[in-house]
Amino acid sequence: MTAAIIEYGMGNVASVQKALNVLGIDSQITGNTNDIKAAKYIILPGVGSFAQGMENLRNSSLDRIIREEVLLKQKPFLGICLGMQLIATTGTEPHESHGLNLIEGKVIKIQDPNTRVPHLGWNSITSSANLFFDNFNQKDFYFIHSYHFQVSNYNKIGATVDYGNKYVAAIQYENILATQFHPEKSQENGLNLLDNFFKLYA
Amino acid sequence: MLKTRIIPILTFNGWSLVKTKRFSTPRMLGNPVQAARVYNSRGVDELIFLDIFASKQKRKINLKIVKDVIDQCFMPVGIGGGISTISDIKDMLKIGADKVVLKTAALLNPDFIKESSDFFGSQCISVSVDAVKNNNGIYTVYNEWGVNITMNDFIQKVQNLGAGEIILNSVENDGVMEGFDRVMYNEAQKVTNIPIVCVGGGGELFHYDELFAETNCEAVGSASIFHFTQYTPFDIKDTLKRLGKPVRI
Repeated sequence: MTAAIIEYGMGNVASVQKALNVLGIDSQITGNTNDIKAAKYIILPGVGSFAQGMENLRNSSLDRIIREEVLLKQKPFLGICLGMQLIATTGTEPHESHGLNLIEGKVIKIQDPNTRVPHLGWNSITSSANLFFDNFNQKDFYFIHSYHFQVSNYNKIGATVDYGNKYVAAIQYENILATQFHPEKSQENGLNLLDNFFKLYA
Repeated sequence: MLKTRIIPILTFNGWSLVKTKRFSTPRMLGNPVQAARVYNSRGVDELIFLDIFASKQKRKINLKIVKDVIDQCFMPVGIGGGISTISDIKDMLKIGADKVVLKTAALLNPDFIKESSDFFGSQCISVSVDAVKNNNGIYTVYNEWGVNITMNDFIQKVQNLGAGEIILNSVENDGVMEGFDRVMYNEAQKVTNIPIVCVGGGGELFHYDELFAETNCEAVGSASIFHFTQYTPFDIKDTLKRLGKPVRI
């Protein structure tokens, strides 16, 4: 049973696989429909712009496959950074475009005259009881992003991060987990979080 | 709360780590992969790896060595050295780099900052700026290509083109280990809203005290202090913690 790390030309797949190797999780970097259908877990990493990411997914019909596997077959899904943002209804980077719409909401630019953008560096997340991310309450993770996900339904927010304002740091809803931060780059905390994801859906 | 970043910088000459003084007289320091392994085990916030001779020698950075360095790291890594095309950046990201550091390409072909940040996102594109005071006391961009631009103008320009971070190096203080140029840093900070990594001059813990007490610095990059003294990134964080700065320990 492998984890499919989706390759769609938006980077950081190698770092994710390296982290899974350390955890002893079998994984495959792939953009192939059959591989993704056969996988037990779907991981959507990525850095870069929203519109470019969606265009790449669409060009290889990966948008359709991901929606099918995650929404219909309820496969455990983990989105990381751009991979979290792409599950939104709408993105705005650099122009407005449709997302995968697994979680309703809009991804917009961080605009705050009092803070530097991008939000870059280690920051602690806040999560409340009974959520997956509660184990990591007040732990530091590595963030690097200029856009943030405004989640429509507060119940789907897994954790927040304080950077002048409160922003969504993670999403949890049914079989969908997603992080704005990079667990694969967050040393021990990050590896533990990834490990918990696989244990949750073992 | 966002933590102050302490970033070791590894400078490389194509086959060995080196450390320069005022951008010349590189001193050889050994194996980058081993150094990366040590920094990873110390849980540093981030690592920057630069092949500082790639552009001058008109060659690309050695991907095999970069990959070996990145493979040691479970923290973010920024890579620089001769990066001038979209395909160069793809090569870096494919082997696990999180950011690329542009310097020569940013100076000679500023539109590449826009092209690359549109494609990969601003967060992926750091621009390294080497600043030096000219005869009129104005900070200007030091370079060997004859480009004449002030530090402030260049920083604003690269921000407008989409850079996500500035790595600001003081040429005068590079490798000298006698303290940071806080004036330069404060001046740069006024003209930009993107994060700046302040580099050049740390040799004693009190230099970091001075830097963080006299500026709103959010990230510092250092090399000599880690190579030539017993101090580790942890010692610097401990110093900052006593100053009341947020750090990840």
